[in-house]
Amino acid sequence: MNPIEVSHVAKSFATTQAVADVSFEVHRGEIFGLLGPNGAGKTTTIRLILDIFKPEKGTVSILDGPMTEAKKDRIGYMPEDRGLYQDIALDRCLIYLGTLKGLSKIEVLNRLEEYLERFDLADHRKKKVEELSKGMQQKAQIINTVLHHPELIIIDEPFTALDPINTQLVKDLMQELRNQGTTIIMSTHQMHQVEELCDRIVLIDEGRDVLYGNLEAIRRQYSGNAVLVRAAGELPSIAGTEIVRQHNGTFKLKLAEGTSPQEVLSGLIAQEVLLEKFEIAIPSVSEIFIRVVEEGDK
Amino acid sequence: MSKTVHVLRHELVTTLSRRSFLLVSFGIPLAAVLIFAVISILRSDTSSSVDVSMSMEESTELEVEGYVDQAGLIDIIPEQIPSDYLLPYSNEEQAQKALEAGEIGAYYIIPEDYIEEGEFIYIHPTYSPTSSDGQEWMMRRTLLVNLLDGDAKLADKVWNPMDLKVTNLAPKPQYDRYAEEDCSTPGPACESSTLVQYIPFIMAILFYIFITMGSSLLIRNVSGEKENMVMEILMQSIHPRQLLTGKLIGLGIASLLPTIAWLGASYAILRLGGGVLNLPAELTIPPSLLVWGIVFFILGYAVYASLMAGAGALLPNMKEISQATWVVMMPLMAGYIVALMASGEAPHAALPIALSLFPLTAPIVMIMRLTIGGVPLWQPFLAAGLMALTAVLIVRSVANMFRAQTLLSGQPFSARRFYRALLGRV
Repeated sequence: MNPIEVSHVAKSFATTQAVADVSFEVHRGEIFGLLGPNGAGKTTTIRLILDIFKPEKGTVSILDGPMTEAKKDRIGYMPEDRGLYQDIALDRCLIYLGTLKGLSKIEVLNRLEEYLERFDLADHRKKKVEELSKGMQQKAQIINTVLHHPELIIIDEPFTALDPINTQLVKDLMQELRNQGTTIIMSTHQMHQVEELCDRIVLIDEGRDVLYGNLEAIRRQYSGNAVLVRAAGELPSIAGTEIVRQHNGTFKLKLAEGTSPQEVLSGLIAQEVLLEKFEIAIPSVSEIFIRVVEEGDK
Repeated sequence: MSKTVHVLRHELVTTLSRRSFLLVSFGIPLAAVLIFAVISILRSDTSSSVDVSMSMEESTELEVEGYVDQAGLIDIIPEQIPSDYLLPYSNEEQAQKALEAGEIGAYYIIPEDYIEEGEFIYIHPTYSPTSSDGQEWMMRRTLLVNLLDGDAKLADKVWNPMDLKVTNLAPKPQYDRYAEEDCSTPGPACESSTLVQYIPFIMAILFYIFITMGSSLLIRNVSGEKENMVMEILMQSIHPRQLLTGKLIGLGIASLLPTIAWLGASYAILRLGGGVLNLPAELTIPPSLLVWGIVFFILGYAVYASLMAGAGALLPNMKEISQATWVVMMPLMAGYIVALMASGEAPHAALPIALSLFPLTAPIVMIMRLTIGGVPLWQPFLAAGLMALTAVLIVRSVANMFRAQTLLSGQPFSARRFYRALLGRV
């Protein structure tokens, strides 16, 4: 059974339908992207998964069944906003939250030492959390999420406030955990991070899942309406295409409806263009995101 | 170690490590005790500088005083006044010199026209709003005996014409003991400060403060954790009931410690500073009152802190704390007002008795009545039993409110929603 199975869940607050109909599964040992525009229902979906809210419709299975108290110790959760005591020392805060995850104080101290060193927070352990920069607090939250070595991690916007070095640090950690078999659900707006890290995604818009599956398959699915062409000489105009971008001599040609990449290639060969590169353009996650959401709005 | 114990320990340590909490809880009562101890020692030193042979107890209560008898009335010093404690001076200048030299603490001038005007002058170097009029009873008694040609028995009758004996079937009220004291034999107790009568009221205020402070810790704690989103993390780590239990006990202990400190300080001040406040030496806080005080504090805390935790669970942010506190603490305030009105007038009338048994007002009104004394034993037991029952019901009800869905709902707070939630209808 998959670590998470969400089936047609719905949840509303007063007159607002936060989640209308969302279904997806998360496989063991993968990084799963939970995507969507602001207000799409991502956070509510996460809270439904974690049993913070009860769904009005549908079912959620987490770690092979409904949520229990014992399962809480096997899950690491990092909400998007602050989730640390601001007015106590960093190490005291993390020790307390770690012990609430079922670790002994000794275990927490041993693991904490390692993580504080890794995230360059060892010298700040005695500072109050509120005295730390936003980036440091973000790293502290990540430590709190992974300290008890959970088998399932749900992490909302992990890269907020992080500089490129620390972003890489967190990405390395996530990939390391995936390689160890940890399942990770990541909600983020940083699409390039999704491209780099996620194996599969679900895109939620207006409370419904509008795109779901393997990331590469989705990108291939949304490819075909553009090609990348680089020619030795000047690129002639090709019927049914429009140049949308040129970068380092490579042209991105957008295909009109009904025009296939094969027709474009045939047209180029027919005009005896000396081709150096011809490939079907794979859209970025960001492009797919915008296209799907805009289509949904229409 | 169970997660409840982790929460308990965390709340206790975090609260006790706050400087502001330590200052209010322990610093202020300790400072008060030290101030009264120092004043008491200084007064004791002043008294001992007077060369008299008296017991320690007497010497701390009476000062040597002088008098200038311009009317020529005083021939006899009554036997109630220890020898050499009322010294004659031939004129005011000599008396003033003796006062300045520290030989006497004060002196009286009986003017020539005393018989016609009935006035005499009392020269005392200090003035204290909490003290009585010094020990002028010594001169009052001396004049009385001398005006009656030394007839001490007649003087006793004039001093106290009605020797009233009251037999009360209930235990004797504490301050009444002084009110009914046999003042035919004058002494400091008869002249004690009216502050004694305010002690029940002061106890009511203290308990109101203790319970309000302790309960406020809960609402601030819960709403603070909601605001900084720690609550969302906690909900993924611990069962809400474990969290509530740990917080209630941890913060309860944290609140009990200052309660004990303040009660202990009050006790020490009465012992050390009784002389400073001109309280009767016999006045003490009976151990039974201390025990009942702790019992009613714990039960009052359990009731109000649970209610406050429930209000905190419903609060979307800390800005609405004052509104929620007002809704929750209203009954306690009502008890406080009743205690204020009843402490001096009719502490054992029907309304104070009813409110001292009603669980939401009992911690204040019962403590006030117990401090006054004369409360039949079944009443505090009944009140404590009813409060314990109420506490259990409220804790169970609030535990149901302590669910993730309620804690993280973000809906605005209202009294209606609070009471509906208490009844399990939200």
